[in-house]
Amino acid sequence: MNTYTICIFTQNTIGLLNRITIIFTRRRINIESLTVSETERKGISRFTIVIQHESREFVEKLVRQIRKIIEVMAVFGYLNEDIVYNEIALFKIATPLGTKALDVETINKQYKAWVVYWGLDYVVIEKTGTEKEIFDFFSYIKPHGILEFVRSGRVAVGKTEQGLVEYLPEAEWAYYL
Amino acid sequence: MVSVLPEEKLTAELVKPLTGSEALMQALVAEGVDTIFGYPGGAIMPVYDALYDYQDKLNHILVRHEQGAAHAAEGYARISGKTGVCLATSGPGATNLITGIADAQIDSTPIVCLIGQVSAHLLGTDAFQETDVIGITMPVCKWNYQITSADEIPEIIAKAFYIAKSGRPGPVVIDITKNAQQALMSKPFQYERCEKVISYRPRLVPKQEQVEKAAELINKAKKPYMIVGHGVQISKAEKELILFAEKTGIPVATTLLGQSAFPVDHPLYTGWLGMHGNYGSNVMTSQCDLLIGVGMRFDDRVTGNPKLFAQQAKVVHLEIDPSEIDKIIKADAPVVGDAKEILTRLMPLVNANDHTAWRNEFRKYDAIEYEKVKAPALAPTTEKLKMPEVIDMLSKKTNGEAVMVADVGQHQMMTSSYYEYKKPNSLITSGGLGTMGFALPAAFGAKVGDPSREVIAIIGDGCFQMTIQELGTIAQNKLPVKAIILNNNYLGMVRQWQQLFHNRRYSFVELQNPDFITIAKGFGVDGHTCSRREDLSTSLDTLLASDKPYLLEVIVETEHNVFPMVPAGTSVADIRLE
Repeated sequence: MNTYTICIFTQNTIGLLNRITIIFTRRRINIESLTVSETERKGISRFTIVIQHESREFVEKLVRQIRKIIEVMAVFGYLNEDIVYNEIALFKIATPLGTKALDVETINKQYKAWVVYWGLDYVVIEKTGTEKEIFDFFSYIKPHGILEFVRSGRVAVGKTEQGLVEYLPEAEWAYYL
Repeated sequence: MVSVLPEEKLTAELVKPLTGSEALMQALVAEGVDTIFGYPGGAIMPVYDALYDYQDKLNHILVRHEQGAAHAAEGYARISGKTGVCLATSGPGATNLITGIADAQIDSTPIVCLIGQVSAHLLGTDAFQETDVIGITMPVCKWNYQITSADEIPEIIAKAFYIAKSGRPGPVVIDITKNAQQALMSKPFQYERCEKVISYRPRLVPKQEQVEKAAELINKAKKPYMIVGHGVQISKAEKELILFAEKTGIPVATTLLGQSAFPVDHPLYTGWLGMHGNYGSNVMTSQCDLLIGVGMRFDDRVTGNPKLFAQQAKVVHLEIDPSEIDKIIKADAPVVGDAKEILTRLMPLVNANDHTAWRNEFRKYDAIEYEKVKAPALAPTTEKLKMPEVIDMLSKKTNGEAVMVADVGQHQMMTSSYYEYKKPNSLITSGGLGTMGFALPAAFGAKVGDPSREVIAIIGDGCFQMTIQELGTIAQNKLPVKAIILNNNYLGMVRQWQQLFHNRRYSFVELQNPDFITIAKGFGVDGHTCSRREDLSTSLDTLLASDKPYLLEVIVETEHNVFPMVPAGTSVADIRLE
C-alpha cells in the first residue's frame, strides 16, 4: 500500500465535493482524509485528498477521471516524497487536581506542541505535524487521559519551484503522475 | 429617417424584460434548436406556457413517457449530429429520464435535458414532486446545473449546449426551479453562444509529437489492423477514414456503434468485432502486430478478457477523451484529439502501403464463418423464419441505405451482422448501456432528425413492450417510422445464455405476448403479421411502401442463437461458431 495525495483545483461551486467523491465511491476507494479551502486565487478551491492504494496505475486512472469533471481545472497526484505535508491535531487532556502535572517543557521542546487553552480541569494542546508525529505525541500524552482528540485532513504543497496555481488556467492535459 | 417609428418600437420590445421561461425559449431559438421532446407537469408549467407562443419555431413532440423523450432526443442527435433536447417536469418526470440520460452518457450522445424543479424556497423540504435531480443525475451525466434565478438562464443554457456537444459529447441536465421560470429577468435578454469554459478544454487538435509517434508505428507495422468506433461518426471523419485506410492499405473493422462509419462493401472492410462480431475480425486481433483504435474505448464486449486481448500487438489509440487512454488497453502511442483532426494530420506522415497478403488472411476466416454460420442462417430449412433472413432481405430491398434503429438483444446483433450498411449514421442502437425499449422512441427521434432517410426500427417482442406506449407519439405526430418486431416469444438473448451457460434452465424468459397488431391499430398505426417464409418479401414491400407509420410483426424461430459468440470474460480466441 502506498499513500497518495491528490490535489484538485476546481471552480468554487455548489456540489463539487459530491462530484469528486462519487468517483471514489464508484471505484470503492476509501478516502483517508480530505481538506478543502480556497486558494490564493479567488474563486478557485483546492481539495487535498489522501488515499491508500497499491497500484500507481489505478491512481493515475482515478486522476484522469477526476480531471473529467467540468469544473475541475487541474489534478495532481503525489507520493509522499514529492510533497511537504502536515496536519493539525487538537488534544483535550484531563488535568484534575492531584494528578501528575503536565511536562510543558517536553511538550513544547520535544514534541513541538502548544497548550492553546486552559480550562478548569483540562487543557487543549495543539500539535502540528505529519500523521506519524501526531501519533507519537498521542502515545506520549495518552497516560494523562485524552478526553477528546481531533485531527484535520492533510494539507500539502508540491516540492516544485512553481506554485501549482501557476498551471491554472492554462494548464493543458498532462500525465501529472 | 422614415424608419424611426418601427425602430423605436423594436427597442421598446427588446427592453421589455422577459420571464425566465421566455428567456429559455429565446435561448433555445438562438441556439438553433428546432425540436423538443417533452412531457409537461406541475413544475415545468411556466415553460410550457411560454412554449405555447413559440410553436412556430420550436416543434414540440409530446411523448408518452419521459424515457421516450430522452431516447428520442438521442435518436435525433445520433442521426443529425445536433444536440437533442428534452423537457420534463420535476420528481417522477425527472427520474423517468434517468435511463435515457445514462444511455446518452455511455454512448457519448449530446442531449440537453431541461427539467422543472420546485420553487427555490421549497428546495430540501420534501415538497410535492421534489427530487434531488442534481444528486441523482450527477453520476450519469456530463454536466448538470440548477438554475434558481431567471437572470442565469441565457448564460447557463449556452454553456449547457456547448458542453453537451463539444469534446466527447454527452448529456447535460439543467434543473430549473419554478420561481426562476416565472420571475422577470432583471436585465435585458442577451444571448451569446458559449465557446469556452475555463475549466473545460477538450483537446481537438492533437499534439504533433503524439501524431508522429503513431505514424512511425504505423509505417513500421507489417500486420496493422484498425478498429473504428463511434467517435469517427461523432467527429464526421468518415471520408478521412476512407482516405487514410486506402492510402495505408490497413484492414478496417468497426465496433457495434462504429458500424456504418465505413462502407460494408469496401474491400478493406473486415466486418465488425466484439462478442457477436465477425469471426475474422475478432480472431485477427490476436495476430496483428499493430492495433489502431480510432474513436473507440476498448469496451469489454470488444476485448473479451482484456489481459488476453491483442497481447502481441503494439497499440495506437486515437481518442478524444484522455481518460480512455490506458483505461483498458495500454497504448504504446496514444494520440488525444478529435478523430478527424488526427486522421488529417496523420495522412501526410504515413507511407502508402498495400497489405494485400495480410488482408487476405481475414478472408479464410470469412469463408469458415460463411459456411458454418451465415449460409445456414440465410437459407434455413426450419419451418419458421430466422432473424438473419429478415434483415438480409430488408438490406437488399433498401439497398443498405436505410437507418436501422435496433433495440437490445438477439435482433440487435442480427441487425448489426446482416444489414449491409452503405451510408454513415445508419445504425442507431444502445451500445454501452444496452437499454431495452430504446428503439421505438429513438426511431421517431431519428426520423424527426433527418426526415429524408428511411428509418426502420428492429425490435424484439420483449423490448417492444418496454416502450410500446410511444406508438401513441408516432401516431399523433404522424411520423412515418417503420417498425419490425422480430417475435421469438422469448427474451432471446437471456434465453441463449441460459441455454449455453446455465444448462438450458430457462428461468423467466418466456413471454405471453399480446396481439401486437391489434394494439398498434388501437393506437392508429397500421400493421400486419408475417409468419411464413413465402410471405416475407411482400410483407417487407408493404412495410416499405407505406408513407405512414407501419408495424410489421415477423414470427421467427424461437430458439435460434446468435453466433459467432465470444463468451463473456474469455479471450476472443475462444470464439464459438456454434
